[in-house]
Amino acid sequence: MRTDFEKVIVIGYGKATGEILAYTQERQADYGCFLEFIEHEPHTLSITRRICEERGIPFASIPDKRALGGYLGEQREKTLIVSASNNFLFPASLVERENITIINFHNALLPDYPGRNAPSWVIYQGGERTGITWHYVTAGVDEGNIIIQKSCAIGPDTKAYELAETLMNLACEGFYECFDSVLQEKAVARPQGFSPDRRMYRSFEIPGDGFLDLEEPAEKAYRLLRSVDYGKSGIFPPLQTEIGGKRAEILRYRKIAPEKKKEGADIRYLPFSDGDLLKIKYRVL
Amino acid sequence: MMEEKVLEILEEYCEEALDYTGDNMMEEGVIDSFTVINIVSELEDAFDIEIDAKYVVAENFRNKEAIIELVARLVEE
Repeated sequence: MRTDFEKVIVIGYGKATGEILAYTQERQADYGCFLEFIEHEPHTLSITRRICEERGIPFASIPDKRALGGYLGEQREKTLIVSASNNFLFPASLVERENITIINFHNALLPDYPGRNAPSWVIYQGGERTGITWHYVTAGVDEGNIIIQKSCAIGPDTKAYELAETLMNLACEGFYECFDSVLQEKAVARPQGFSPDRRMYRSFEIPGDGFLDLEEPAEKAYRLLRSVDYGKSGIFPPLQTEIGGKRAEILRYRKIAPEKKKEGADIRYLPFSDGDLLKIKYRVL
Repeated sequence: MMEEKVLEILEEYCEEALDYTGDNMMEEGVIDSFTVINIVSELEDAFDIEIDAKYVVAENFRNKEAIIELVARLVEE
């Protein structure tokens, strides 16, 4: 198998990045190009460093944006950059370089939900399906031509971290499918059809503006709670609410059957229309 | 009782963790970060404790004994 790419750089963090990195290394011999990994956003539970150590893949940690841009800009070989679960925005000067091709995995079905935290917004807005998109990177955020997409259903109880995991698995599947065509520069990419009201989601935006209104129906509250639930990862601050005129933050929540209801301190129950209850544990600030 | 409940939760989300005898489940791929989120959520609910993000590190999830130790510490606090 033949490619004109002399180097592949994988950049990102998390489970999908690790699997994509491992797959690329397994396929490296088919093409004979050099492979390296860059960690830009360290993660406490990341396994990419171990994968690099075990497989002898050069590993670099470059947390500083300017340093990363500078490093990538120094590449003189024909290079494919695989951006997987990566929040670094590639500068236009790099994207436009002739020797650089960048592909990115976005965790939504572009052109819908461009920008940050797409799984959260699709849950919050009550979407029933979403998916992933591998696309070429251009100077505009999430605007490049689409290489491949994969979709999945969103269940009525799906939390943001669960959806994120499903999407990462789909991202790996999509990557394996398009790997050869991208390396051989034979991928048939199609332009995105942008609607005039396309909305870009920014990193500072939080579903519901981060406030849970306990007077809202349980279904709506549950959607908001699920949409910002990434466990302890701190992607969003805890939701806040107001109880008896006091500000409180939400600690945890759960959908339960009515017979499991137990009265306790700092717990509020909201009834679902099907008879179940939304249990919300809070802490007054 | 506490130990039994922790093991029950582990069995539900990561059965392999029960038989694992090493000391780095994350590194060895027995447990991944998404499973940790589920386990943390279940432990918090079962024991009415808060597991702060600072405790959600590979060291505290290196094996079942470490998880039991973490829960025991937080329950006592």
